[in-house]
Amino acid sequence: MAFLEVRNLTKDFGGIVANNDISFSIEEGEIVGLIGPNGAGKTTLFNCIVGYYRPDGGRVIFRGRDITGWKPFQTAREGIGRTFQLMRAAGELTAVEHVMVGAFLHQEDRVEAEREAREVLAFMGLEGVADLYLTELPLAIQKQVGLARALAIKPVLLMLDEVASGLNPTETEEMVKLLKRIHREKGITLFLIEHVMEVVMPISEKVIVLDGGVKIAEGPPEEIAHDEKVIKAYLGEKYARGL
Amino acid sequence: MVLADAFIQGILMGFLFALISLGLTIIFGVMDIVNFAHGEFLMLGMYTAYCLSISLGVDPLVTLPLCGAVGALLGLVSYYGLVRYLLRGPMVAQLLGTFGLMLFLRYLAVFLWGIDYRMIKKGLLVGKSLTIGPFHLDMTKVVCALLSLVAFTVVSWIIFKTRVGKALRATSINREAASYMGIKTERMNALAWAMGGITVGIAGGLLANFYYIYPMVGLLFVMIAFATVALGGFGSIKGAFFAGILIGILETVFPIIGHLLKTSIIGPQYKMTIVYLAYFLVVVFRPRGLFGWEQ
Amino acid sequence: MGAIREAFDFSDFPLVERIGFGIFCLFLLAFPWLGMDSFGMAVMIQFLLFSLFGMGWNTIGGYGGQVELGKAQYVGIGAYTVAVLMVRWDIPYWFSMPLGVLIALGYSFLIGYPLFRLKGHYFAIATIATSLVLQDIFINWNFVGAAKGIELPIKGNTFLYMQFTNDTYYYYFILAYFLAGVLYMNWFRKSKLGYQLRMIKIDEEAAESLGIDARWCKIKAYAIASAFVAVGGSFIAVYNLYIDPESVMHLELSIMIALMAMLGGAASLWGPIIGAAILVPLDRYLGSWLGGHKELMGVDFMIYAAIIMFIAAFEPRGIWGIVERYRGRRT
Repeated sequence: MAFLEVRNLTKDFGGIVANNDISFSIEEGEIVGLIGPNGAGKTTLFNCIVGYYRPDGGRVIFRGRDITGWKPFQTAREGIGRTFQLMRAAGELTAVEHVMVGAFLHQEDRVEAEREAREVLAFMGLEGVADLYLTELPLAIQKQVGLARALAIKPVLLMLDEVASGLNPTETEEMVKLLKRIHREKGITLFLIEHVMEVVMPISEKVIVLDGGVKIAEGPPEEIAHDEKVIKAYLGEKYARGL
Repeated sequence: MVLADAFIQGILMGFLFALISLGLTIIFGVMDIVNFAHGEFLMLGMYTAYCLSISLGVDPLVTLPLCGAVGALLGLVSYYGLVRYLLRGPMVAQLLGTFGLMLFLRYLAVFLWGIDYRMIKKGLLVGKSLTIGPFHLDMTKVVCALLSLVAFTVVSWIIFKTRVGKALRATSINREAASYMGIKTERMNALAWAMGGITVGIAGGLLANFYYIYPMVGLLFVMIAFATVALGGFGSIKGAFFAGILIGILETVFPIIGHLLKTSIIGPQYKMTIVYLAYFLVVVFRPRGLFGWEQ
Repeated sequence: MGAIREAFDFSDFPLVERIGFGIFCLFLLAFPWLGMDSFGMAVMIQFLLFSLFGMGWNTIGGYGGQVELGKAQYVGIGAYTVAVLMVRWDIPYWFSMPLGVLIALGYSFLIGYPLFRLKGHYFAIATIATSLVLQDIFINWNFVGAAKGIELPIKGNTFLYMQFTNDTYYYYFILAYFLAGVLYMNWFRKSKLGYQLRMIKIDEEAAESLGIDARWCKIKAYAIASAFVAVGGSFIAVYNLYIDPESVMHLELSIMIALMAMLGGAASLWGPIIGAAILVPLDRYLGSWLGGHKELMGVDFMIYAAIIMFIAAFEPRGIWGIVERYRGRRT
């Protein structure tokens, strides 16, 4: 039984079929990447799994339970965490308070939740900014807090939405290291949507490629990098022919 | 027969409800703000018709253009003096702001004219009735309904057939894109408020011909307007038109049904309740109303 | 219990504020002996009552960020339950008040469920609609006295029915509620629900991704607000000894409550209190001054309205928001 199984997933937005009969599965403990050109349907797929959209066809099965069409807070309680591309910050909560909200999922006591939150922030090297308001932090740090927040709910599957976007090369390297640490030390299965190949390719054990709403390839990174269909999707016919 | 009569009366009132709601829906369509003071614009339109017809000794219908002008002025002043700043803030601030405007205008009216009820007694149409077959229709209401229809047609023509109207529609669909196309969105906002003001000012002028004029009358009609706009779909002109008529029918037919069923629970005292209920049901079960966009 | 300890723990406020509030409390406790006239006493009672209303509203309107304008209906429920039970069956306050709170809670869950499918303007308008509907029903319902309202029988001095001939008793009564309210809100803002609400307000999608059922949280906060307000309503019944739909359930009351909290600073502990401290005396003194000048009728509301518009346009976070901006810390 696969950890996460997506079967014949279809999502139709009144004429535009964003996801067309997509199937794949993820094993527990894997790191899997989802790539594809803009408009391929990656975000839609992401949202269908997480519960923000309800698929029009197909099923999503997580740890043996059919979670198709479950609402986001239900999938979160089931163990699926996610990050956001855009962090909406407001001057109301500090970094540690943000993370505490995550901890509150399985923790009733405020003092305990705060302790857990600080632990997670420390794990990510963010103790220094714990008591600052999110609006006082640079965007890259805000996103890291977002990641800490997602970790605080103790997910077993973490879905990362373009977690490397907008990072410079040093930051990208740090992100790769961080993701490996999360995977190794917390034993969380990772599912990344990414555009930044420097992040996806080095750490993924398996890569799934979407184009035009359809899955066009699936396999280890080295294979994918040389797959004709994939190259054509990104760079066009010419490059696919090995020009 | 009583039912059919109520039906017709409802349709007539419905035309007016539609006109009242037109301004609200335009403003919302263009910039996503609900003008809580809308009812007060209506009320001030009514007072304009009243005061002018009395002081100048003219028929109230003649004052209509001035009512429209007053409405437009109100709209523009409200926009440039307040709403422009509200747009910068969170939605909470916008709600609060137009609410404040509502209170301000309402109590301004109290200050200027007191809380007494007034009525226009003299006029070309006052007291006359039109007989079509078995139905006796109040002449004023018929003319008002017709004028409302005319106003609707004119506004629709402006919105759908002129360049300015196109610009307005573009802004309401996608403000950012519209500004990239060179449309001055600030001006569009102000225009929306001016148009909203004119239509509701004229509606007030029409309403004054047969309805009581008093400072609190705004609250009553703004709730009707909300229900109408919600039912028709926020931002939809067509929606405001048909929903207005529907609400008009609902409001007049409902108590009659109670009377026919010989139950006092369904009666005129709950006329507004049924309107609120309608709003509630529409907004919960079909948020985009009849013709509105997907939320 | 941990919750009690939390309620009394004001340690995350700067020392200056704690001392300030302490002094204020001493002032409140000593007030009746400071030689104020009966008008002043009435104003203070009104202030404490509205602070209570505002704090209650704050749970859903401030921390929750859902501006709702229908609180008056719960004031009515609280007031009417006490009044009707007393007039018809001679039931003491200490039974009818909790019952009123329960009814308020029940009703708020009932209408909260569909209500919170809405957001923003639609939600605000819907809350107005529900309040107007209930008011309409009460105006026409003979069981509760319809439009004429209910006059409570005078029972002299009694703790059973919470009626007193001396306003000082009423003062301490409402003061007790006020202090309880402050302690509750102090606990609330640090509680799980308090944090979850704020997360929902900042980013509802993110909150959901953390396992929070946003709708249910909002309903809970709404119910709490309703309970607060119903308690205040019950006080009105035994204080005024006369209630009717117009005075306890009308729209302006709902607006005043929301306004007070927003003026003072929604989403903060002191905000509603500050708002009440400004608006209540303004309302009372201005009202009585204008009462003597009939030609200026309406000016008082024009002034509030101007204040509202100003705050909305330039400092939506209210007075306390200005303070917080200065010291860079939110509580």
